[in-house]
Amino acid sequence: MIGAGMNRFSIAASIVVALASLDATSALAQQKPRTPPPAARRPVQKPSRSISIGGYAMYGNISFTAKQSFEAVLGKASGPIAGGGARVGLPWGGLFFDVGAFRYQATGERVFIFNGETFKLGIPVKVTVTPIELSAGWQFRFRRAPRFTPYVAGGLTMMKYQETSDFATTSEDVDDSFNGYHVMGGAEYKITRWFGVAGEASWTTVANAIGVSGVSKTFDETDLGGKTLRFKITIGR
Amino acid sequence: MRISSARVGAALVVVVGLVTANAQEPLHTAGVSKQVVQDTMLPAIDRGLRDQEPPRPARTSLEADRLRAAGGDTLPYLRGSVIVKFKDDAPRAAVAAATAQVAGDIVDRSTWADFDIVDIPAGEDPETAAAALRARPDVEYAQPRYLNHAMARPNDTLYNNQWNFPAIDMERVWDIQPGASSDIIVAVLDSGMAYRDATVRYNAPAFSLDGLRYPALGQVLVPFAAAPELGASGSSRFVAPRDFIWGDDLPVDLDGHGTHVAGTVGQLTNNGRGTAGMAYNVRLMPVKVIQGLWDEIFRSPFEGTDDIVARGIRYAADNGAKVINLSIGREDGGPAPVVVDAIRYAVGKGAFLAAAAGNTREDGNLPNRLTQSAPDIDGFVAVGAVGRSLDLAFYSTTASYVELVAPGGDQRQGGTSGGILQQTLDLDLLETFDRPVSQYGPPRADSFAYLYFQGTSMATPHVAGFAALLMQQGITNPAAVEAAMKQFATDKGAAGRDNSYGYGLINPRATLRGLGLAR
Repeated sequence: MIGAGMNRFSIAASIVVALASLDATSALAQQKPRTPPPAARRPVQKPSRSISIGGYAMYGNISFTAKQSFEAVLGKASGPIAGGGARVGLPWGGLFFDVGAFRYQATGERVFIFNGETFKLGIPVKVTVTPIELSAGWQFRFRRAPRFTPYVAGGLTMMKYQETSDFATTSEDVDDSFNGYHVMGGAEYKITRWFGVAGEASWTTVANAIGVSGVSKTFDETDLGGKTLRFKITIGR
Repeated sequence: MRISSARVGAALVVVVGLVTANAQEPLHTAGVSKQVVQDTMLPAIDRGLRDQEPPRPARTSLEADRLRAAGGDTLPYLRGSVIVKFKDDAPRAAVAAATAQVAGDIVDRSTWADFDIVDIPAGEDPETAAAALRARPDVEYAQPRYLNHAMARPNDTLYNNQWNFPAIDMERVWDIQPGASSDIIVAVLDSGMAYRDATVRYNAPAFSLDGLRYPALGQVLVPFAAAPELGASGSSRFVAPRDFIWGDDLPVDLDGHGTHVAGTVGQLTNNGRGTAGMAYNVRLMPVKVIQGLWDEIFRSPFEGTDDIVARGIRYAADNGAKVINLSIGREDGGPAPVVVDAIRYAVGKGAFLAAAAGNTREDGNLPNRLTQSAPDIDGFVAVGAVGRSLDLAFYSTTASYVELVAPGGDQRQGGTSGGILQQTLDLDLLETFDRPVSQYGPPRADSFAYLYFQGTSMATPHVAGFAALLMQQGITNPAAVEAAMKQFATDKGAAGRDNSYGYGLINPRATLRGLGLAR
């Protein structure tokens, strides 16, 4: 379940961005009502020769690789994510760098597994997964579809994992960070020059982050990574 | 002559009673008497903590057999009958041939039994007869009617005195699972339980004990009271009481062992008095399957033989027990297939069973025959004992069947108070047969004291109470209960399972917390 605070903040930010974009377009229209450039004459957007900076908010869904472990404790191995990030486009072809982070949070129950059967013990447990992704990638631009920009990227993932439960001492809760890798691919569509939307898929592996204890040991699942599908609202060039 | 309907009714009751009694084949038919005279009593007497009494002799099979030995009978089984289970498809003719082989007769089958008792001539050796029957293809098992006894070693010496609960972190356990609930029924198969008020009339004939001749007391009135720390007489705390030693529904305790064991399972807690218990909100089922010396003196019709224990287990399972505590056993004789069968039946009905590993480590380390099958049955565990230092108790039997250990007390690891403290019958007023003959008189079972006992009998109810907490927490499968207990046990002794500590000391807190995703 997404944290309520993050949700509200993200939604509010998105609305502000959207309204700002609409307002900017509207203001432009009011300032130059008689001289709108004919669409056919609008110049084709060329690849930027300067550094471009943008930010984004993202929402999506993650499906964890450690399916059995997440299902046993949280009742499901996938759930919603929310986050944001920034992207810097460099003046060399389609090269860009991206730093993003999102958060997955869910509550479940501590369990005991016996012969494949899960016994729920009624002790609440909260799991929070917060990956920070540092990516380098390449954007592809097409002259015939200048608003549409597919991209691929890959990079390092710093995965913060927190697990807290009732009746636990500090040492019994988990607050650790692990490193892994990810690859992603997606496409951005610019609605206006400064505002766009994007769809993205990623795959992350964070090997040996779990599996030492808990149900992940029972199921011999060690990878804290997973697959995500994300919807992004972008702002910037 | 007109006969009133009341008289007809009374006559019918007598006839039915006689038929029933005959069907259950009582051992003692002459002089049997046990009659409730009064249901209400004055309040129970609480004589408080008794930690300064001189050491009492350890309870062993010899202790349990004191009265029989005085009569010249030292065999570990009853004469004149054996337990036989014929295969389901055994033809009637084959059954007849089998019984003829041992010159026997099948007694009408008892309740809560899927086996038969075959009477054999009194002069026949039951072990030989059982062996002959086992050799027949139509017999599943046959065994003598071995006698069982309590696995405790009462010794001498309130919550501060209960080292056993902090030793297994029970205070934090009760934060997680506060004493289970009345949904869980724990059956205590033992010497009975001080669970109700009553005045009961018995017949006390003369007897010999330890070389002394004690006179007949004739008809005696024995006052019973519910142990104040177990619950009020007639309350819903107690469910489905059954006495297989007297063949009735009044399993009152004439020994003190069962009441002490029941206290560790479910002594009332947080009530500002006395001692605590593991699963203090459960309902308790008193099932009497072993006799005390008073039961023998009063000539109970049955004794704690394997068939009685097996019937008790089946009764408990059939009447909703989710946990069955067996702080009983025997070292003499051979295996107990009739009990093993009953244990499998109970596990199949969803009951978890905990049984004492035995107290013979310094007496030949003989195995408890009732517990040997524990490794073969998931949902049934054999429990050894540790003392205050959490080292193996000097008496705790070491064997390949030991699966877990729990606090059972050890006076060599902390003196008198190194035992397990619970409220039970005041033995000073109960065991009058240990007084000089001139001071011998009828017992009182309405007076209570807090006494330290030690033995694997005392360790076992820790595991039974623990199982009740686990079941309340959500682990309802007996096999899963056992697996969880083993998985989270604190390893002791040699790394991994060993014959002293089994898989280790129970760790209720870790077990109840179970597993998170990563920890």
